[in-house]
Formats: sequence, C-alpha cells, structure tokens
Amino acid sequence: MAIFRCCFETQLSDFFEPVVQKCTDPGCCCWCCSALRPRYKRLVDNIFPVNPQDGLIKNNMEKLTFYALSSPEKLDRIGEYLYQKAARDIYRRRNGLVVIAMEAMDQLLLACHAQTLNLFVESFLKMVQKLLESTEPQLQILATQSFVRFANIEEDTPSYHRRYDFFVSKFSAMCHSNHTNRDWCNQIRLAGIRGLQGVVRKTVSDDLVENIWEPVHMDKIMPSLLYNMQNARYPISQPGSPAPHGEEDRQDPPTLAESCMRELVGRASFGHIKSVLRPVLRHLDLHKLWVPNEFAIHAFKIIMFSIQSQYSYTVVETLMAHLDDNSTSSPEIRTSIADVLSKIIAIAAGESVGPSVLEIINSLLNHLRVSVSKLAKAEDSARHKHASKDDSTHEKLYQEALINALGEFANHLPDYQKIEIMMFIMSKVPHSEQDGDVLLQSMLLKSLLKVGTKYQTIQLNQAFPVNFLERLLRMSVGPNPDMRLLVNKIFHTLLDRHLNLEKLLKPTVDVDSLKLTVTKSSRLDAIFIRKHGGDIFLTLYESLELPSNTVENIEAAYTTTALICIELVCEESVCDLLRLIMSIQDLALTSSKLSLHQKYQLHAVVASLLALVPHCVPLSSLQTYADKIIATRIAKAPYLLPPLMRHYDSTTVPAGDVLLDQPQITSCLAEAGLDATQMARPHTGSLQHRHSWVDSGMGGSAAELNSMEVDSVSSSPGVVKKFPEEELTFESLKRILSPENVESRKEADEEKRLRLCETYRSASFTELVQHTQSKGDILNDKLNQLLKGLATKQTLRYLSERRDTERERERDDDRKSEADSEEERDHFDRHSPHSHSRSHSSDHLPPAPQPLYETLFPELFVY
Amino acid sequence: MPKRHFKIQGEPLLYSCYDDVVFIYIQFIMEDYKFLFKVVLVGNAGVGKTCLVRRFTQGLFPPGQGATIGVDFMIKTVEIDGEKVKLQIWDTAGQERFRSITQSYYRSAHALILVYDISCQPTFDCLPDWLREIEEYASNKVLRILVGNKMDREDREIPMHVGEDFAQRHDMYFLETSAKEAENVEKLFMEIAAELMEQARSKELPRYDTNSPTINGRTTSIGDSNCCSKLS
Repeated sequence: MAIFRCCFETQLSDFFEPVVQKCTDPGCCCWCCSALRPRYKRLVDNIFPVNPQDGLIKNNMEKLTFYALSSPEKLDRIGEYLYQKAARDIYRRRNGLVVIAMEAMDQLLLACHAQTLNLFVESFLKMVQKLLESTEPQLQILATQSFVRFANIEEDTPSYHRRYDFFVSKFSAMCHSNHTNRDWCNQIRLAGIRGLQGVVRKTVSDDLVENIWEPVHMDKIMPSLLYNMQNARYPISQPGSPAPHGEEDRQDPPTLAESCMRELVGRASFGHIKSVLRPVLRHLDLHKLWVPNEFAIHAFKIIMFSIQSQYSYTVVETLMAHLDDNSTSSPEIRTSIADVLSKIIAIAAGESVGPSVLEIINSLLNHLRVSVSKLAKAEDSARHKHASKDDSTHEKLYQEALINALGEFANHLPDYQKIEIMMFIMSKVPHSEQDGDVLLQSMLLKSLLKVGTKYQTIQLNQAFPVNFLERLLRMSVGPNPDMRLLVNKIFHTLLDRHLNLEKLLKPTVDVDSLKLTVTKSSRLDAIFIRKHGGDIFLTLYESLELPSNTVENIEAAYTTTALICIELVCEESVCDLLRLIMSIQDLALTSSKLSLHQKYQLHAVVASLLALVPHCVPLSSLQTYADKIIATRIAKAPYLLPPLMRHYDSTTVPAGDVLLDQPQITSCLAEAGLDATQMARPHTGSLQHRHSWVDSGMGGSAAELNSMEVDSVSSSPGVVKKFPEEELTFESLKRILSPENVESRKEADEEKRLRLCETYRSASFTELVQHTQSKGDILNDKLNQLLKGLATKQTLRYLSERRDTERERERDDDRKSEADSEEERDHFDRHSPHSHSRSHSSDHLPPAPQPLYETLFPELFVY
Repeated sequence: MPKRHFKIQGEPLLYSCYDDVVFIYIQFIMEDYKFLFKVVLVGNAGVGKTCLVRRFTQGLFPPGQGATIGVDFMIKTVEIDGEKVKLQIWDTAGQERFRSITQSYYRSAHALILVYDISCQPTFDCLPDWLREIEEYASNKVLRILVGNKMDREDREIPMHVGEDFAQRHDMYFLETSAKEAENVEKLFMEIAAELMEQARSKELPRYDTNSPTINGRTTSIGDSNCCSKLS
C-alpha cells in the first residue's frame, strides 16, 4: 500500500504540478477578475493551496466557516461552487485538490447546523457521488468516509426528495470489490460496508425518507454483508503477508459486516423482517451454504440474537416456509435447514406465546409427516430398484433433525406448554395400523418422547391429563413391539422424578446397591394412583401378555412398574401393585400364548419387583419374604432371576417354593397393619386370571372408592348422585321386557338365522370366505346382538351389556369432543366410583375371550 | 445576457461574474451531463461482459480478466447530438451464485445488454433463461439489446443470422462485437445512449421546453426513475 501511494503521489506531482500551478496561481487569468467575484467564491478559492501537498489552508478555512455561519443563506452556493471545483479537478485527475475540497465540505457540514444545511447537503452528496464514480480506490474510500460522517449527523428537517439508490448500489458493488491489490480490496470492501451502514443509519430512523426496507435495496444490502461474512472462514490475509495490527485487525470486513447486519436486523420492524430474510435465504441457497451449514447457523444466530425479540418467531416461521419451498431438494439440504432450525428455535421459544407455538409445532409435525410418506415411497421404490438406499438414510437423518428441532423448541417452553404440546402431538398420532401409519406413529411418538424428556414432572396428575394418559395406555398395548417400547419410554421419562431411571433400566433383585432416591409420595400422587392405578396396572398386565414382546419390551414394562412403585406407591396402593405382581406370575405359569423364554423373563421381573416393593413401602416382613424367595431361586432356579436372557436352556416349569405364595404375602401385609382383604380375594390358581384380575380390580377400586365416596358425600350434602349417561326409567325397562317386543325380535332373529343358514349351505366355500371376510365384523356384531336377544332370560346380564355398549359409544363421543367434556368427566369420575370401575369392564370388554355365541353355537364356526 | 461559449473539457473554464443569471447558466452546464442512463450487462460467466465495459470506458482489453464478483460499476459520459449523456454501467457477475444480488440491479436499469459468446453454444442456449429472468426482475419498458461477443474468434459456433433471428423474435436490438478488437463496442453504447435519449426526449420534451433553466438546473426530479433520472 505504501508503495502504491508513493507512486501515486510522485506521479501526481510529476504530472500535474505545472497544470496546478498554472491554474491556481494567483497570477493566472482568474486573478484579474477575482476581485470582482462574489465574496464566497473568493473565500472558497483561498482555501486551496498552491501546492496540493500542503493541504487545506487552515486560516482561510476558518474564514470560510465563519462566513458560512454568519450568512447561512450563502451556504448552498458555497456547496455548489466547491462541487464544481471538485468535479473539474476529478476530471483533470488533480486528486490532491479533490481531497481538499472534500475536506472543506466535511468541515462546513459539521460546523453548520442551520436549516439551510439541506441545500448544502445536495451539493455535498453530489460531490460524494462524483467521487464514488471515479475509478480511484482512494477517492472512493474518501467519499465513503465523508458519507459516513454525514450519515452520523442528525438533520432536523427531512429531505423527502433525496434518493439513496445510487449509494446503495455503489456501496454494495464496493462490498464485492475484487481489486487486484489485496490491501485495496480489503479497504474498498470495508468502505462499502461502512457506506451501507451509513445509508441504513440515515434512512432507517426516518420513515419519510427513502424506505431502505424495499426489496430492491435489501436484495443488495443483505447479500453484500453475507458475502463478506462468509469469507471469514477463508482468511483473507495470505500466509506470507504480515498480519494486520491493532485497529485494522479488529475491523476486518467480516466483523464489520457482522456488526452492520446486527444493527440492520435490530432495527427491522415486523413488516420488514420478510424483506430482510428473503435475500438471506436466497443467498444461502445460491452460494450453497446449507451443506455444510456452519455459516447458515452463524448467520441465523446473529439474526435471532439481534432481532427484536418479539419478532423472533417470525424468523422461525420464515425458515420453516423455506423448508416447505425446499421440499423437492435433496434430503441433505433439508436436513441442514432443519438443523439450523433446531439451533435457533430455542432462541425463539422464550418469546413465542399463544397460537404461534402450536403453529410451529404443527408445521414441524407436517414436515415430519411429509417426510415419512416420502420415506415410505422411497423404500417402496428401493425394493424394486436397489438404488435409493442412500436417499432413505438421508431422509431418516432429516426426520431426526426435525425431531431434534421439536425437542429444542419444547425445551425452552414453560412446563405447562410442554404438556399442551404433548397433548397436541398425541392428537396427531394416527390410530389405524396401516404400514405408513406405523412409521408416522413411531416418528410422532419419538417426538413425543423428545418433548417428554424435556419436561420436569412435578405432579403426576399434571403430567398425565386424563386424555393423554388414556391414549398412552391404549398405545402401550398396540400390536407393534417397537411402538410399545416407545410408549413405555415416554412413561419412564414422565414418571421419573428422582432420577432413578438409569438405575432401573434392567431388572435386578439387588435393590440395595441401586441407591434409589425415594421420597414419600404426596397426597396428590396418592389420589392420582387411586384414580388411575387400576387402569395403568391393567394395561401393564395386558402389555406383558402379548406374545410379540421382546426382552426390551419386558424390561421396559418392568422399568415402568418399578418407577410407578417408587414414585407413587404408598401403603394404600401397595396391595394393587402386589396383586399385579401376582398376576404376572400367574400369567407366566398359565399363559398358553407366551413362549417359555418369555415366561422365565416374567418370573425374573416378578422377583425383581417383589424385591423392590419393601424399599418403597416399609414392610419388613415382605422384605424377609422376598429375600427368602430370592435365596431359594438362587439355589434352585437361577433362571427365574434377572438378568433377562433371550434364550433359556432350562425347560422345567417352576413350581413349589420358588414361586410367590399368595397367603404368605397377604400375611405380610396383615402384619404391617394393612388391609389385606383385597389381597385375599383375587384369583389364586384361577385359570381365567384375566377375568379374575379385572373382577378383583373392580372390587378393589370400588371398595377404595367407596370410602372416598363417603368423604365426598359428607362434604357436599344435598348433592344427588347422577348417572347422566343412562336412562333407567320405568318406561325403558318396560320396553325391554315387554313380551311382544321379545317375541317379535325373536321371530325376526329366527328368520335371519334361517336365511343365514341357507346361504351357508348353498354357497361355495370360497364365496363364503370372501363374504365373511368383507363383512365379518358386521356379522359378528349382528350375531352378538341376536344371541344376546336370545339370552334375554338373563335379563340383568342383557341390561348390563347394553349399558356397556352404550357407554362405549359415549366414550367414543367423548373422545371426539375432548376438551369440554374432559373436565366434566373428570369431575364425574371423581364423584362416582361406579363409573370408574365400570370403565374398567368396558375397556376390557372387547377382547373378552369366549363370546356367548361361540359357546352356544359352536357348529356355526366350522369354517 | 451575454452569450458566451463555454468549453467544458480540456481547458480551464472562463467564469462569468456579472450576475446571478449567468451563474445559474454556468451551473446548468456544469452539471456536466443532461441525461443519466443506467445500463446493466448480463449473460453467462465468461462471455466478456467486463471486457466490453473496460474497452468502452477505459479503452483497454485486460487479458486474463478474472471473474467478476457481485457487481462492478463504471461511468462514462458521451456526447450525442451535442448533448452530454452520462452512462452508469453496472457490470454483473455471470456466476450463478451471485444471481440474487445481480437481479436486484435489473430493476432500475434503462437498458439491459444481454451478452453471449459466439464461439460457445451453451452461452447462447441459456438466453431464454436470461430472458425469463429479465422478464421477472426488470422493468417492462427496459431497452433490451442482444450482443454476440468475441466476433474476432475463428471458431464461431453461432452464425450471425441465428443471433439476429433470436433477437428479432424477442424484440431486441442485435449487435455482434469484439472487445478484443474494439469492434462495434463504441457503436453499441452510443446507439444505446442515442436510443434512450430519443425515448427520454419524446417523454421529457415538455419539461425541457419550458425554457426555464433556473428550475431545470436546480430541482431534482422526484420518482422518475423509470426513464431519465437526473442526479439527485
């Protein structure tokens, strides 16, 4: 740079010296008339030295300033005259004089604050533009400096007609300078950025001047800034050249561009955000800066941190919309965008409120859904060709990135919103079990899990609103083992309040060594378990019953049970838990569907759970008993103890003292002063364990709730218990029981049956199969109804069945109109123990093993 | 009012110092141009846009010119029918990655020069894409000129009539140039300037006929960026 300047200056003096002297010499032709010229011209002329190297003549400059201040009406003429002089000097390449003219203008600009400044500014800006138009880097930089100085002046009158588009265009072009001299290049770029900063400062504060937020300007400014910032990754100074020092080091183009962008974004109001972001996204697209996305993340973080925080979610929305636009681009790009999203979404989360939260979640879920269907298609085509294997792995990465973004977002929301979000996601989970849906289900459950892990459970009744719990429970007995595993994991993360999850991942009998954190469960927890314990235990039991369970499934179920035990079980509910344990053992002994390995695994789970219970509830005798059982098993049947294995060598069916004994446990409970009567009631040795368990569950909960009922009734006297869903009026009973009704129905049924028999006799087998398959369900229902009709002798039973179906229907309705009926039902549940216990049986009814007609008319089921 | 002839270029100016009217008259001339036109060059990378501009503005042919980054800016004042016309020439980068910034320059352009390389078929094949882009981003009144550059090259791939046909079909002016041999370069810009001036005149004539240089010399036109915008 020094060399350049040196050359430049010698050149100047060599070339222009004679000309300069000739022209500005007082003895020149101008001199004769100078006495006749206006005063301001003389003053202006006098500030120029004979020799440009001497610089501005300070004394004369002061005189000019004084003159301008004392007669401000002349200021605009002074400006014009200075501009003319400079324009001429530029043309003649007398750069030294140009610099002096510019300096004089700067000084006048700073010195004068009069209203007349407005007109002076016109000439000033013309001068700046003139300088910018020259090809000399030196003049361009000088002009920028003057412009920035001008931009920092607060004018008191706005100038509506002033236009800055040339400046924006030129400064943007300067930001892209490609000067062969590296130093010049850097300096021009710096000048360009400073100039843009100046334009922004000048225009942004005043709505009446040029609107800098117009796309035509923003499309120039943003890419220019980004272009300089992205170069930060490739150091500009060559390894050979000495590193710049001090001030210059701090003000390299990338840093300056960054701070300029912060300033710009920080001033953007809501309406302008789109026009700021659009060029950013386009720039990132065109320069292929999404993959890898370090710069994109960097840029968006800058935007997020500097944007006015109430608008930050707009950035997220815009980015999401960009993801929409990119739905056809490669999965890598989408993954990167989603990744950027996950990195910035957290910053927005703190500020998002109300519908915007669900909007964002909804949009994320939509992307997930689209991606799942895309993946399904890709895998479909991959089955035919063997090509797009790569694509589907990328697609999976994309889904991961989306789920991550979701989790990040949820992480920064307040807890009550997390529950809302979990409910929301849950409502999006499809219920059917088609192929594509399973994928989507698992994806959504994964996102749910992600949100769940960010949630800090404090009270379980808040973490599990009834709707949510019900759906979760239903999914936990779904047909897909992976899904069940996911659901269990959701349970784990939501249940675990004392960070015991890690310790309980694998079943173990050595509970002491786990160092579990156990605290006394609160009253609210007790109410929760009293209300929902039955449902939960039943579902757990049912999930263990499924033959498709893997070791992981069983372990997960164990973990869930163990966590419930630690978090919730108190003296009152320990019976329920023990009954569950007993039922599991029964299941392991009697089930015909489970494999031997699964049965052994269940036994191990039983042992582990039994060992855990005394740690949560002080039952010393149970402790002794558990120790005894474990000791026996270690001695006689180690295969009945954890760890669970995929494959067991033993084939013996366990019996005798390696098994848990019902009376023993009952006595343990009694010893501790607990009510062991419920324990005695259930199912010892019962083959129909499921029924018996449910019955006992009903009995148990009914009994428990009866006590509660007393409370509620006594506390609210005069409240009449109501069963709004049933209409047990005399009329309805009469209608059901009236003989002609039964008769006519019987006749109709008879006729139907005859017709049915006819068809089955005449039709071919395949036809029959087809027929029954297509409407097998309808047929079953019909048959069920018919035969129930036949069995009206057991009127009571009929009645209860009918009520059940009614309730089933009602429950469906309930699900549809969740929100409002939810509270009501909740309320109702609390006050009516029967409805609660009945919901058990209705829940349980569909899979009831032996339908009535099957036992009565076995001959109909020959096919 | 004393009539004097002012020479603007070359020699020092003679100043009239009698009265303000004369001063303003000087000032009017001192604006150093009467029209300002923005010309934007577009086209694929490496077709010679920068070389055309350099040849025209600086009279040189820079061998081994690197790819333009973003946008480059040059200025040249020409004289048409005794009128000074200032051309702001924006030389855009041909590379795809700078498309976002280059497009933002189309909008304010008075003339768009679409350049292709006569020795390179692909640059010609891209022309429809460029036209689409111009259609989308530029003003619809913009003057469009198709230029086949590098006509000095021996290995011509696009015959002249093909380019002519294309230009005719899309309602553009056509010219073949060589920045290297300085052929037709001057002509290209001069014709653009003349044509734009013609257009501007037909619209602006009333304003210039008012015979009131006082106003004309001073006021800045507001919002007439479409056609002829004076410096503001």
